[in-house]
Amino acid sequence: MKLTAFRIRNFRSIVDTGWQSLSPDNITCLIGQNESGKTSVLEAMKVFYTGIISEDILRSDLSLPEVSCRFSIPEGWLLKVTDNPGTELKELLSGLTHIELTRVWIADLSSVIIVSGEISQYLDSLEDAWRIYLGDVTVKLEQELSIISENEKKLTGLAAQESEIKSKIQPHESKSKGFLWFGKKTAESDSVTDGLTADLKNQLAEIRRKKEQISADLLGKQSMKKAGETWHKLFDKFIMLDNHLAELSVKLEERHQKMTLLMRPVDDEDDQEWRSTLNDYRKTRSERDLKKAELDRHIALSGYIMAGSTEEEAEKKVNEIIQSYKSQYNSEILGRKYFEYCPVFELFEDFGSLLPNRIDMEDIITGNDQVEGYKAARNFLSIAQLDYSFFQQPSSRILKQKIENLNNTLTRNFQDFWQQSIGRNNKIHIQFELDHYSAAYGDKAGKPYLEFWIKDEGERLYPKQRSRGVRWFLSFYMELKAAANINKQMVLLVDEPGVSLHARAQEDVLKVFEDIKDTIQVIYTTHSPHLVEINKLHRVLAAQRDDLDSLRSATRILDPFQLSAASPDTLSPLQSILGNPAASEGFSSKKFNLIVNDTGSFYILNAIIILTGFRGKISVIPSTNVSSIPLLCNILMGWGLDFAVLLFENEQENKMREVLKETVFKTDNSGRNMIISIPGTFYNAEDLLSTLDFKNFILKNRQGITIANSEYVSEKDMPRNFMFSKFLAEVKSGVIKLTDFDEETLENFRQVIDTFKGLK
Amino acid sequence: MTVKAQHNSDIISLIQNQGMDDHMASLRYAGIIQKALMPDPESLKGLFKDYFVLFLPRDIVSGDFYYTFSNRQHLFVAAGDCTGHGVPGALLSILGISFLNEIVQSKSDPKANRILNLMREKVMKALHQTGERAVTKDSIDIGLCIIDYRTGKFQYSGANRPLIRMRNGELDEFKADKMTIGLAPLAEQPFTNVIIDTEHGDSFYLFSDGFADQFGEITDKKFKHKHLKRVIISMAGHSMAQQRDILRSTFNDWKGNTQQIDDVLIFGFQI
Repeated sequence: MKLTAFRIRNFRSIVDTGWQSLSPDNITCLIGQNESGKTSVLEAMKVFYTGIISEDILRSDLSLPEVSCRFSIPEGWLLKVTDNPGTELKELLSGLTHIELTRVWIADLSSVIIVSGEISQYLDSLEDAWRIYLGDVTVKLEQELSIISENEKKLTGLAAQESEIKSKIQPHESKSKGFLWFGKKTAESDSVTDGLTADLKNQLAEIRRKKEQISADLLGKQSMKKAGETWHKLFDKFIMLDNHLAELSVKLEERHQKMTLLMRPVDDEDDQEWRSTLNDYRKTRSERDLKKAELDRHIALSGYIMAGSTEEEAEKKVNEIIQSYKSQYNSEILGRKYFEYCPVFELFEDFGSLLPNRIDMEDIITGNDQVEGYKAARNFLSIAQLDYSFFQQPSSRILKQKIENLNNTLTRNFQDFWQQSIGRNNKIHIQFELDHYSAAYGDKAGKPYLEFWIKDEGERLYPKQRSRGVRWFLSFYMELKAAANINKQMVLLVDEPGVSLHARAQEDVLKVFEDIKDTIQVIYTTHSPHLVEINKLHRVLAAQRDDLDSLRSATRILDPFQLSAASPDTLSPLQSILGNPAASEGFSSKKFNLIVNDTGSFYILNAIIILTGFRGKISVIPSTNVSSIPLLCNILMGWGLDFAVLLFENEQENKMREVLKETVFKTDNSGRNMIISIPGTFYNAEDLLSTLDFKNFILKNRQGITIANSEYVSEKDMPRNFMFSKFLAEVKSGVIKLTDFDEETLENFRQVIDTFKGLK
Repeated sequence: MTVKAQHNSDIISLIQNQGMDDHMASLRYAGIIQKALMPDPESLKGLFKDYFVLFLPRDIVSGDFYYTFSNRQHLFVAAGDCTGHGVPGALLSILGISFLNEIVQSKSDPKANRILNLMREKVMKALHQTGERAVTKDSIDIGLCIIDYRTGKFQYSGANRPLIRMRNGELDEFKADKMTIGLAPLAEQPFTNVIIDTEHGDSFYLFSDGFADQFGEITDKKFKHKHLKRVIISMAGHSMAQQRDILRSTFNDWKGNTQQIDDVLIFGFQI
């Protein structure tokens, strides 16, 4: 799995970076002012891997962070690592060449890794279908229950009517009996009474019939009623848990707020309360989730009971329907599974990663990463393949011998690295020793510690006494060696590598990155122009605040195509190098200096020089823009250097041609041709390439272009410098060769070279 | 009758024939417009020593087209074949003609391959063919020749359409690049510019694939390119008008009562 892009949300000053692609050549550089959020990006990626965050990373609105990473994978790989996906999931997985994993944090600051992107969309669609199904069943269930309740009410009403009629019939009958006892009633009154009783009896019969009918109906719905009662109970319980969870979340948020403001842990008493809240939150959350699952299952079950199934049959059918609607996988299960293959993300920063002078064994054993140099010491033990048992060697003579042997091996290996990667021959020796604190150290007396030394031509010094460069490289070497031991792919996050190193040593840092990039992906932050390669601007991401003057504003990440939108301060490392593209390519007294309109043209012309193998002594000097050309001319004139200005056929440069003739070159009596043009109509340097070559080697797309390349670039507002620097880099690396170009371009190149040949 | 006069009389007959089905009427009108966009065969007289155009559209409108343009120094001759036939082919052919016009009129030192390169850009842009999610995969196969009146330089560049030269009864075929004007499965490569030596009396043939792809009534097989070349060789020595008649009757004999499967175009010219 190779990390190709990231997206960070709600992390310190970052609200949402959007998806940011990493450089495909495995080295990505983050530039930006202090406090712009560069380091936050590295930290966010680190916690994507570890999951451990503290309150101080929360934003003031307490929205919880989410960090997503996109990885490229070989086609079909997902099928190999996913056991028995269903048919649809299998089809989806087989075609995917990337996966997205997202770590999401919840109120207790614990986190889960979920698979996001296409896979989760598919799983969500299943989940949605399940929800819709349950929703439909719930509606029907409610209708059924309301019918049952209505019938029950009717039954009660009928019972009341029945007893009322009964009470009416009884007096009539007793009255008739009384008359019989005391004498005969008139025939008329007899017939009225009989009629009334018969009517009541009829009503009674009707009521009883209805009662029987409703009772029979209710009897048939006994199990339905039971299911409804259980549903109500489960639902009430679920709502109760959910409400409780919401209350606890509010409490947790209050706590986060407090912590964020204090920026330090609160006292113990609070801590106990906090712990109990935290435990309650976790317990309630898990109970709520279980209850929800139980509730869903019960709703599905009720659906089958409603349809007339027995409870047993319904149970069986529910199992089947759950299987059909719900994949055996969900985003969390798959996220966890794929995360096992995720590269290790290691953050290399000065405090923990630089080799300390001394570190207590206890700190190493307990994994106390708050102690200075902890990671460096851990790396050291890892590459020496030592664990605690090594130091329990009873014989101090054998222990010393073993340590001596290890010192020699480490030294030899580091010297190889130092020589190969940095090209230096200093004989640097690394030493470590195991010692124990003396009685003077109070509590620590008798406890073991490791002490490190760096020896150079007889001088034995603590790491901190050595130059920062040596210490940095040694520590970095240890990080790399330790990474090799873990036998997993690695993304190395390096914060401000070689800060305060000499420019040359900073360039050495880049060299090391280049050396390791095939095995380890590197993402680093920097302010230094020496750590950004002008020919590889595609590696640069810029971090800057939305409001440059406010530290409360959100961090924005600008990809290489948006660099032109970055503020001058953000771009300062780039501007430093753009002003002077390379130490060896500046003003020269030994070469003919050819001023061109801008850095874009500088890249194209240098690419042509390299491609054609032109050996003439020409140094192309990029102006920052056309209007700065006179200034450059004045400087070169003042220094007495040979130079000319190459102008293209566009409005601005045509005007400049007149300006230069009128002002700068008016005083030149040498008769030299100071303003040169390439024969033909070339509006700018990119027009020296045919449309087809421009598309194939610079744009890398197949869109039809019917205007000049330069017009296309300006019409589409394209990042000229970035695109052309990439082109030059590919020419330099031999990816693009002269034979790749068509005859139209080659003819133009010939004209350029012929023009250059004429410069003396 | 010139094309213009023919055009007018066709429109008049259309108006008179009001009972005709609306669709058919508009289709016929489209056919008239398409013809008007192509050069009037009569008007080609001054450009070549001799020439013929065998143009047999399958439907009322055609996906095949021929093109000539001349300025003081250069003569441009082309025969194109757009994907499909009928209305879609005709629409594309109109696009092709208008792009050719645009390009040849703006080039002072024209190169046949660069014209095709640029034409491809224009077609791809017009049809929004980006290679990613092409709206259409339509394209034009074309053979293009440029003759320089002053120097006699003869350039040819072909997109899937070859050029045949007949000299003293011998046939030479100049193969086209296996690319089309429009989106192709593979990324675009430049077309090749072929410089062809010419002698007085050389005949050249540009053609679409309709003739060679026609199924025969008796054989139920395609006529084939090889067979067409044999016919061209056999016609050597005949005037261009006679050659057109031979080709037409050969085609009709071969086709018999079967359906014509595609538009047919052969443009022969002698310099």
